Amino acid sequence: MPITLPAKLGSLAVALIALIVLPHLTTGYVVYLANLMLIYIILALGLNILIGETGQFGLAHVAFYGIGIYTTAILAGRFDVPFPVAIVAGMLLAGAIGFLLGAVSFRMRDIYLALSTFAFGEAMQWVFKSWDDVTNGPNGMRIPQASMFGFRITNDHDAYYIVLAVTIVVVLATVALMRSRLGRAFRAVRESEPAALALGVNVRLTKVIAFTLSAVYAGLAGGVYASFSSFIHPDSLGFTTTILVLTMIVVGGLGSIAGAIMGALILGLIQELLRQAPSYQEIIYGVILILFMMYAPKGVAGAIKARFGRSAAK
Amino acid sequence: MKTMFRAALMGLVLTGSAGFSAQAFPVKAGQGSYSDPGITDDTIKIGLFAPLSGPAQAYGEDPLNAARMWYETVNSMGGIWGRKIELVIEDDRCNANDLVAAVKKLVEQDKVFMINGGSCSAAAVAAQEYVTRAKVPYVMLNASGDGALYPPTDYIFGAISISQRAVGGTAVDFATRHLKGKKIGYINHDDAYGAWNLETAEFTAKEAGATLSVESINPNITDVTAPLLKIRAFNPDVIILTTYARPATLILKKAHELGMKMPIILTVTGTANLKQLVDNVGTKDAFKNFYVQDVINDTPDGPKQKWVLDMYKKRYPELAAKPDHPTPYMPYGIPAAQTVTHALLLAGPNPTREGVARIMRSLTFESGVMAGLISYGENDRAGQESSIFLKFDGDKQELQPGVYVSRWVYKP
Repeated sequence: MPITLPAKLGSLAVALIALIVLPHLTTGYVVYLANLMLIYIILALGLNILIGETGQFGLAHVAFYGIGIYTTAILAGRFDVPFPVAIVAGMLLAGAIGFLLGAVSFRMRDIYLALSTFAFGEAMQWVFKSWDDVTNGPNGMRIPQASMFGFRITNDHDAYYIVLAVTIVVVLATVALMRSRLGRAFRAVRESEPAALALGVNVRLTKVIAFTLSAVYAGLAGGVYASFSSFIHPDSLGFTTTILVLTMIVVGGLGSIAGAIMGALILGLIQELLRQAPSYQEIIYGVILILFMMYAPKGVAGAIKARFGRSAAK
Repeated sequence: MKTMFRAALMGLVLTGSAGFSAQAFPVKAGQGSYSDPGITDDTIKIGLFAPLSGPAQAYGEDPLNAARMWYETVNSMGGIWGRKIELVIEDDRCNANDLVAAVKKLVEQDKVFMINGGSCSAAAVAAQEYVTRAKVPYVMLNASGDGALYPPTDYIFGAISISQRAVGGTAVDFATRHLKGKKIGYINHDDAYGAWNLETAEFTAKEAGATLSVESINPNITDVTAPLLKIRAFNPDVIILTTYARPATLILKKAHELGMKMPIILTVTGTANLKQLVDNVGTKDAFKNFYVQDVINDTPDGPKQKWVLDMYKKRYPELAAKPDHPTPYMPYGIPAAQTVTHALLLAGPNPTREGVARIMRSLTFESGVMAGLISYGENDRAGQESSIFLKFDGDKQELQPGVYVSRWVYKP
C-alpha cells in the first residue's frame, strides 16, 4: 500500500517534534548518542553521494572527517578563530583535498579506486599520528570548548540544537542536490559512463565534483563533531570507522538519502546497544548484517520501497 | 598467605586524611539523604568498564575480573561502612567515542557514585574533560593514562599498573645500578608512550652519569637491522627495549644473529606473553643475558602473588582452567579497585564525590599486589611508579634483588 503525502508529512512532523523535545526528556548520555548519530548521518550522506549516487568506490571518507576535526580544533584552539569560521575552513580544506584526490583518481574505478583511496586514508591517519607539531601526534589532541554566535557549548545538550540544525540543512541541501541536474549527472555516471557521455554529461568533472562534495560533507561532519567533543585521537580515524560508515549506507540502501539516514541511525543504535552484550556482540553484529543482506539486499530503503511503493523511501 | 591477603584487604593505609583512625570496613553507614547520586544507606554504585570485546579485550577483561572479585570480597566482608558495592559494568571497546559513551551512560543514566575503568590510555584520556566537568572521581583500571595525569587534575587517577614515565626511569635505574651499565642503548617507539618513557630514562641516566644512545622505531617496523646496527656501533653495556612484543621479537632475533652478548632488558610494554616471545624468537640462546621488567611484587607464580591467583581460581574456575589465564595483566585490576574502596573507607560514613577525590589526592597504601606503594600526591596522579626485574632464560624467571622506584617528579 503506497504511503500518501499527508501521511509522509505527518510522519516528518512527528519526527521533527520528537527531535526537538528529545533533550528535554532524556539524559546527557542519550543526547551525546543523538549528537553522534547526527554526525553519522552527515558522514553517510556524504559517502552516499560518492558511492551510492555516483558509483565511485572511494574509501577515504574518514580522512576528510579527520581533516575537518583537526582543522577546526587547531584554528579554534591555537589561533582563536571563531568556531563557525573554523568549521567552514575545515570543510573547505577537506573539499580542496577531496578535489585533488578526485582529480588524480578519476580514471580509476572499482577495486583500483577503492585501493588507492584506501591508501590515501591510511596515509592521512599516519599524518594525524606523526605530525606531532600540528596534530599532537599519538597523544591525541584536546579540542577547546566551542562557542558559537555568543553561545557557549559546555555540554551535549548545548550542542544538540546546533548539530541538529546543521544536519537538517545538510539533509535538505542533499535532497535539492539530488533533484538538480548535477544529481542526475551523478546517477548517469553511476549507471553507465559511456551513456552519460552520450547524454552530454562531463563525466570527469562530475566525478571530481562528487569527490569534492563528499569530502566537504565529511569535513563539515568533523567540524561539527569538534563542537561537542573535547578530544580527538588518530586511532578513531582508521579503517574501522570507514567500514562503519560504508556499512551504514549499504544497510540503509545505496543511492537513497532516506537509506543513508536510516542506515546511520540503525547502525549507530545497534553499535551502542551491542555494548551491553560484549561477549556476543561481534557475532550478533555479523548475524544482523547477514540478515540485512539476505532479506533487504537493496537496503532498508529498498525494502520499504518494495513494501510501500516507490515514493516511500526516496 | 592469609597475612598478605589480610594486609591488602585492610588497606594498610600509610597516610590518608588527617585524623582518621585506620578501621577496616566499619559496619555503620550514615543515614539520610545524600548530596551525590549513586549512594544510599545500603549501597554505593560504582561504574566499572574495560574493553570487553574486540582486539583489545585481552588487555581489559581480566583486570576487570580482578577488580570485580575485589569488590565482591569487600561486599562479603560487609561492604564499606555497611554499604554493599553495586557494580554497573560497561564495555569501552578501547575506543575514545565508546569510552566516552560508556562513562556518560554510567554517570548520567546509571547514576553511579564514581567510576573505575579503562585499559587503553588514548581512550581513557578522551574522558578527561567530561569527568573533570562533572566532578566525578575517576580511577583508571590498568591504563597508564599518562596523557590525562600530567598536568594533574582533581578527579582523575591512573597508572595503577605503572606510569610510562616510570617504565623508562626504573629500567635505566636497574641497568645502571644492578647491571653497572654506563653506556646504554635505548630503543623505544616513536609514539606517545615512547616519548614519555624516554623523558624519565634521560633524567635517570643523567642522574647516574650514564650515556644513552636512543633509537626510536615505529611500532609496525618490519626490519630492525638499521636501528640495531646503530646501537651496536655505540658499543653499549646494556640495551633497554621499551617496545611492544612484536618489535621486541625482531630485535632479540637480530641481536642474537649479530652476536650481541650484552644484557638486554625488555620493559613491561612487551612482556605480555613470554612463552610466545620465546616461540617467536625461535631459540632460547637469544635469552642467555635477558631481563624483563615487571610491576607486580613477585614472579607471577611467586609466593607473594599466591593469594591473587587463589582468589582468581576460586572466583573464576572456568576461566582459570583456560590456557594463558589469568593474563599477566589480571593482578592490576585489584589495586585499581583497592584505590576506590580505600578512598571510600577513608571518606567516612557519608562520602561525597568531592570528599573521595580529596582523599585520593593524598592516598598512599600497600596493595599486596604491586611492586611499590600505590601513592598519589599534590602533583602526582600516577599511582604506581616502581618495578622489579626478572632474569628470564627462556624457561624460568629468577627474581633480581631490589625494587626500583622512579625518582622523576612532575614539576608544574
